[in-house]
Amino acid sequence: MEAVRGWLAQARRPLLLFHEDDIWRIDVVSVPQAPKASSVPKAAAARPFQNPSPLNTSEAEASADHRIAEQTNAPMRLLIIEDDRTAADYLVKAFREVGHVAEHAADGEDGLAQALHGQFDVLIVDRMLPKLDGLTVIGTLRAKNIHTPALILSALGQVDDRVKGLRAGGDDYLAKPYSFAELLARIEVLARRGGGRSEEMTYRVGDLVLDRLSHSVTRGTEELTLQPREFRLLEYLMKHAGQVVTRTMLLENVWDYHFDPQTNVIDVHISRLRSKIDKGFAQPLLHTIRGAGYMVRDNK
Amino acid sequence: MSALGKLFRTTAFKLTLAYLIFFAIFAACLLGYFAWNTRRLITEQITATVDAEIVGLNEQYRQGGIRRLVFVIEDRARRPGSSLYLVSTFNGQTLAGNVGSLPSGTLANAGWIETTYRRQEEQDAGNDHFALARVFQLPGGFRLMVGRDLDERERIYDVILAAGKWSIALVVLLGLAGGFFVARRMLRRVDAMTESTRIIMDGNFTGRLPVVGSGDELDRLADNLNAMLARIEALMHGLKEVTDNIAHDLKTPLTRLRNRSEQALRTAKTEAEYRAALDATIEESDALIRTFNALLLIARAESGQARGETVEFDAADIARGVTELYEPLADEKGLLLRVEADAPALVRGNRELVSQALANLVDNAIKYAAPNGAPEAPPPEIVVRAAGAGERVILSVSDRGPGIAEADRGRAIERFVRLEQSRTQPGSGLGLSLAAAVARLHGGELRLEDNQPGLRIVLALPRSPGQATP
Repeated sequence: MEAVRGWLAQARRPLLLFHEDDIWRIDVVSVPQAPKASSVPKAAAARPFQNPSPLNTSEAEASADHRIAEQTNAPMRLLIIEDDRTAADYLVKAFREVGHVAEHAADGEDGLAQALHGQFDVLIVDRMLPKLDGLTVIGTLRAKNIHTPALILSALGQVDDRVKGLRAGGDDYLAKPYSFAELLARIEVLARRGGGRSEEMTYRVGDLVLDRLSHSVTRGTEELTLQPREFRLLEYLMKHAGQVVTRTMLLENVWDYHFDPQTNVIDVHISRLRSKIDKGFAQPLLHTIRGAGYMVRDNK
Repeated sequence: MSALGKLFRTTAFKLTLAYLIFFAIFAACLLGYFAWNTRRLITEQITATVDAEIVGLNEQYRQGGIRRLVFVIEDRARRPGSSLYLVSTFNGQTLAGNVGSLPSGTLANAGWIETTYRRQEEQDAGNDHFALARVFQLPGGFRLMVGRDLDERERIYDVILAAGKWSIALVVLLGLAGGFFVARRMLRRVDAMTESTRIIMDGNFTGRLPVVGSGDELDRLADNLNAMLARIEALMHGLKEVTDNIAHDLKTPLTRLRNRSEQALRTAKTEAEYRAALDATIEESDALIRTFNALLLIARAESGQARGETVEFDAADIARGVTELYEPLADEKGLLLRVEADAPALVRGNRELVSQALANLVDNAIKYAAPNGAPEAPPPEIVVRAAGAGERVILSVSDRGPGIAEADRGRAIERFVRLEQSRTQPGSGLGLSLAAAVARLHGGELRLEDNQPGLRIVLALPRSPGQATP
């Protein structure tokens, strides 16, 4: 964490990370000179949650700068197996900028060799690769009992392609073109999946407690009544507390839908949930990360 | 290739020829068998007659000696159409009979013999006749020969052979003529078809194959090919329309994107202005990607590729799930979204695609079913229903919005069509087309109906065969 703070402190210029050929929406309006987490939530807390609207950007911007500090607190080693040089370079650079180490392999064989011999937290594998296709690379790794989480990137975004990818041993699937924020959020969730809190029966963030066994949610001393879907939504968010969870991830994991719902229906669900868990409390726990998604986190 | 050569190469002609050869061989065998059998039958009859006569003559001889035998034979030999008789002494001297002469040594051995002979009355004319005869040794050294002329047998045989030859010749002739006629008729029709296809191949997709109206196999073929051509023409037309629409609906946002970027480069001064321009650019490109994805999915659904893994699922489940997903959004817009799906309605297909189709319909309804102005009035309802109806499972979304005029309903399902008054609403305009493509993929249909007032969109899918009709 200290190293990251140092890195952030060096970056005195407003952090504007973008690339010429991809969607890159990490929005850092102003990086605090000395980022103290507590300085931000006040602004967020000051905003009353009346009639929450998903498209209200002022609310989103208020909590925009949690994410850099949060996402860089554990540097990861990533292997990007991608034959498009420009895309790969961009990814390597973008991951380095948020504090991760990314290696690059330009074809399937090279990628497989690196994945076999290197220690990586997550593999990012393009599906169509020269020499050895992405699914074969993952399949070979799994056959050799190497279970490094793998995210498949593919231009084929249809449902059956996704199913094929996951069946081949992939852990997640992202269709091109994607936003870097989406990729980063998914990578971080994948990396921490093993050591995550999935086995815990109770999730706790600040004074918010979710009991998975009795299906009850309490905040402080107050018992909250949630609809079943709201419960599952909160459960997923709390399971990945401190991590950015994108709308697509919510749609896939909470609703099990893999299509584009046209309108941002997820935002409305989040608003409802927020009005139940944060309304009337001084400390908001459910934050909107602009251009990326949502995060449950205690800022204290 | 000459016209005649072309004719000889037709399948019809070759078939005729093959049948002809087969039939000719068959006829020849039949006639041959008939002839052979006739001949055998006549021979048998002769033998039986001759045997009987010898028995009778032998009896006469035993009773009355040689004199009586000679007498009887002289008598019989004079009758018209009589058999051949000859009685001779042991040294070959003829005692009685109607045979002129025989090759020497004919009478040497007793038994059956086929021999030439000359009749008594034409002894000198030199006309040899064939006869089948039996030589019998009478006690006392006399020899008796009784036989029948074989001319009759040979005549019948010849008649049959001649009939066979002529009938086979006739069969071949008629067959060839028939084959020629059939082949020519066939060839003429096939040539007409070939000509039509050539015209169609040259690019005139309105051309059709000629149908005679006889309902024969060629007509059925032509009918089917015409149906295929009609489908191809419709697809080509659709493709052209899609290309035009893509040009319009993708180029418009692309132009906007480009203009906005250019404008930002020209006028933006502060970082915030650049940032706003970039944000807008990303938003615009996201919308483009969405449109593009929807287009791809429709194309895949329509070509049948998107089927993926088919499972049996409950449409009522889908209706509840999608309603649950959109309910807060509807609520926020001042609409009441509710579901009526109590009984399970099983469908076999791609669950994800059907969910997406229904989600699109609900999304559409929420977009267009604007809430009524009066704040006290109850919010307009949107009802999602799922129910089995006979062989179908009906998923429907009914709203109380402005609806779609009957004349516009067919058009509303077409790709990219957003009816004029709704051009201002966001969206790719592909929701209905996608739902229609998904319906077609599953062998169902999408219908737009009047909800009086409002619009009811019906997604009718075939009921899973696993669930019997109640």
